[in-house]
Amino acid sequence: MPFIQNTDAERREMLAAIGVKSIDDLFADVPANLRINMADASRLKLPKGQGELEVTRHIEGLLAKTKNAGDYAFFRGGGIYNHFVSTVVDHIALFDSSFITAYTPYQPECSQGTLTFIFEFQSSICALTGLEVANASMYDGASALAEAMMMGKHVAEDKWRKEERNTFVLAGAHNPEYEQVVRTYADVAGLKVVNVPAGADGRIDQDALKKALTRKVFAVAAQSPNYLGVIEDLDAVNAARKESEALFVHCTTEPMSLALLQTPGEAGADIAVGEGQPLGNHQFLGGPAFGYFAARKEHLRKMPGRIVSETVDKNGKRAFALALATREQHIRREKATSNICTNQSLCALRALIHLAAWGKNGFVELAEHTVAKTQYAIKKLGAVDGVKLVYPNSPVFNEFVIQAAPGLEKKLLKKKILGGLPLDKYGKGRKGQYLVAITEVTTKAQIDAYAAALAEALKGKAVASAK
Amino acid sequence: MTTTTIANPADALLFETSVEGRRCLRLPELDVPKVDLKQALKGAKLRQKPANLPEVGELDLVRHFKNLAQKNFSVDRNFYPLGSCTMKYNPKINVTLLAQPGFTRAHPHLPLADLQGHIELMVNLEGYLREVSGLPAVTLQPAAGAQGEMTGLMVIKAYFEEKGEGKTRTEIVIPDSAHGTNPATAALAGFKTVTLKGKPDGSVDLDLLKSLVGPQTAGMMITNPSTLGLLEPNMVEIAKILHGVGAQLYMDGANMNAIQGIVRPGDYGVDVMHYNLHKTYSVPHGAGGPGAGPIAVAAHLEPYLPVPRPVRNEDGTFSLDYKRKKSIGKVRSFFGNYGALVMAYIYMTQLGREGVRRNAENAVLNANYLRVKLRNEFKVFTDRVCAHEVVFTDAIQAKNDIHALDVAKRLIDYNIHPMTIYFPQANVTNGEGAMMVEPTETESKQTLDFFIEVMKKIAQETRENPALLKEAPHNMPVVRLDEVRASTQPQLYCPMCMS
Ligand SMILES: Cc1ncc(COP(=O)(O)O)c(C=O)c1O
Repeated sequence: MPFIQNTDAERREMLAAIGVKSIDDLFADVPANLRINMADASRLKLPKGQGELEVTRHIEGLLAKTKNAGDYAFFRGGGIYNHFVSTVVDHIALFDSSFITAYTPYQPECSQGTLTFIFEFQSSICALTGLEVANASMYDGASALAEAMMMGKHVAEDKWRKEERNTFVLAGAHNPEYEQVVRTYADVAGLKVVNVPAGADGRIDQDALKKALTRKVFAVAAQSPNYLGVIEDLDAVNAARKESEALFVHCTTEPMSLALLQTPGEAGADIAVGEGQPLGNHQFLGGPAFGYFAARKEHLRKMPGRIVSETVDKNGKRAFALALATREQHIRREKATSNICTNQSLCALRALIHLAAWGKNGFVELAEHTVAKTQYAIKKLGAVDGVKLVYPNSPVFNEFVIQAAPGLEKKLLKKKILGGLPLDKYGKGRKGQYLVAITEVTTKAQIDAYAAALAEALKGKAVASAK
Repeated sequence: MTTTTIANPADALLFETSVEGRRCLRLPELDVPKVDLKQALKGAKLRQKPANLPEVGELDLVRHFKNLAQKNFSVDRNFYPLGSCTMKYNPKINVTLLAQPGFTRAHPHLPLADLQGHIELMVNLEGYLREVSGLPAVTLQPAAGAQGEMTGLMVIKAYFEEKGEGKTRTEIVIPDSAHGTNPATAALAGFKTVTLKGKPDGSVDLDLLKSLVGPQTAGMMITNPSTLGLLEPNMVEIAKILHGVGAQLYMDGANMNAIQGIVRPGDYGVDVMHYNLHKTYSVPHGAGGPGAGPIAVAAHLEPYLPVPRPVRNEDGTFSLDYKRKKSIGKVRSFFGNYGALVMAYIYMTQLGREGVRRNAENAVLNANYLRVKLRNEFKVFTDRVCAHEVVFTDAIQAKNDIHALDVAKRLIDYNIHPMTIYFPQANVTNGEGAMMVEPTETESKQTLDFFIEVMKKIAQETRENPALLKEAPHNMPVVRLDEVRASTQPQLYCPMCMS
């Protein structure tokens, strides 16, 4: 019997010890007419179980009907990025079962491994974001942004008891997946979400932002680099929110950018959230990876999620333990700051290993390589007849938008190139636009091939205008 | 142990062993021209100094984590009867198959043609979960049980809003024994929570329930089997009471391990339920996550499920349906924790029809075996046939001033991970400390007998040498932490990381 070790003889022995005749007697609380009769094939229509060999074949059969980033010269991002993941990460987090087959460290004496890595993970997120407190992880970047909104509302309820602050502002071009998740949570919580559009330079329209930031707003979020790849002017966002005193939430889908760019802490953000996949996590169609969540110290007691603190044991020895559990659902129930219980710890461990394996200087170099390759791609693709850079004067990190012609995907696929993500569904007037993503994995040869293939595909076609 | 004064670097934090200039990974030579950062980034503000990440070599990095690994109990090394968490064995094939590039490098923005096998897998898994739930529609998007709960309540809310009852149905009834996520979710979803006190035997008080529900009730969230490890005998009546006032019945199916293949929640009259794939279907718990919390819903709620919906077309191809007007939207980016879904699928494919049923039978058999074997030494909270777990209390031990916490810590000395002791909360167990034991079906009778022997020994030690328990554990690197200090004087990062 797969995964069950007891033999029939042992089962009989155990039933006798319990004092029942059959296993069925253990389910007397289920009304007899509802109990599934296994002899009736019309109930519980599941296939026959398969052994390891068969299921391996089955999965390989399914994978034969797929392609992955490794099958192409690959230029897609938009929230999940085709990074290199060191073998060290998989060996510790996936193949060594000490972490993967443990659970929430409720008993610190036999969970110091987990508690220590969470503490180290929190420390690395603090280092990246420049904020003083970070939690043990959220589900993903999008739900972390939704939780930041919920937390902002809780902070506002305490801070401005007399004011009705009910609006959350999404400033500039946010990843549409994030916006959808935020709106779903806002709907159910009765909050209003207002978008401030990106201006012609791809950055937040500052005039519109100032207008939107009324005293009805409890928090404003800015994604940087934003969905169009453009790095936002965070100082301007911070200045704009001063009058309304709204909280400032920084968000990114590419935390590797924090190796180089002004940190949320430096920019005056209250909360920083983002997607952790680019830090040592596999793509898996978008998950599991994790959302990171950091904040200023003053907001600690309103933070969602698990938090680990250094403490001492009864002999005065340094040790690590879960802290501030009175924020959490298992203690506080309906008054908890969030309902999160199971999080994405193992993915946070991966991020920690990844960050340490690159290290202080390596992580900067990694980001610098990305910038250099992105600049090269901008130059190469921008030079193709029929291709125009959409935001040529705005700063970008790892992604940028080109204007070419619609429907190029098929032509490029023939050359084993998966070009940038078509943006036609993202908004009006974006027909023929593509969001191109670069990582350290992208080679010069691939970029050259992309440029050549674009040139061939666009031969004779005029540049479609953006508007 | 004599104290040594020589610090083992393996005991230090990564940040503390960092040495300027040390490296593990190296980049290939840059194959494009170098750029000037300031110029390339067009004056965008840069951070003032690099993030102070640790600088370590590969050997020390690996040794650090292998050393931490030894400070962890885990299912592969320890019996781990942590109640309510279903710490069953996680077959190795799960991770081996998942580690292939077809999964690890599957980007969510690949063209539809490249995703066919993945969508097929999702459609198949939805099918399995539909069959086990007896409900006609499933979404795989929620990332964990609590997000499944949130999704379920969002769906219920959207349903009532369309019926014009969104403003009036503001309450969710929740038994006092419910898992903490239930009331937390209901409150975050904007509902008022109404607590339903359980009967002394742990079951739902039907008269009390009737008195609490009405046109203001949106629904009830019931965990079945409950966190007391008991099957609710009156599920059908409960569903009738709720439907009688036009409300919905939500079943927290985190404990499906006990009833999968035995009874289908849909047949009880349940309208929405969530699964915890990390419990029931062997997604490893990952030191706290990730998991996956799909929900199954009745037909009238299907239109509200999150997008996209994976679909099998008539011609045998697969696609993603985003055009669903009534959908609540998205609760998680892309497709949820797809990697976790893959593992659950591999597992369910191996179980098949017989295996699903057999898991429930053996999980319940193992729990009841522990119940009867230990009921003389430890008080069983409700001594009737239990489901997948059994809740003992420390009532007998308390006479010697030994409490659930002490029993838990003493178990560590025997290399057994403690049971759950932080809930059900004391108001549910009449002030007695709960010890919730969930052996799961994958443990053998020998392991259960070992546990029984250890627990009996602990009961004896309680009477004869309580200090032994008070001072436990005895052979761990740290003992009885100052957890109050962790909350009153929190130190949440290594100071070096901010320098
Ligand atoms: C009964 C019950 N309900 C809900 C949950 C919440 O699930 P998750 O931790 O996956 O969010 C859990 C698990 O912790 C549980 O045991």
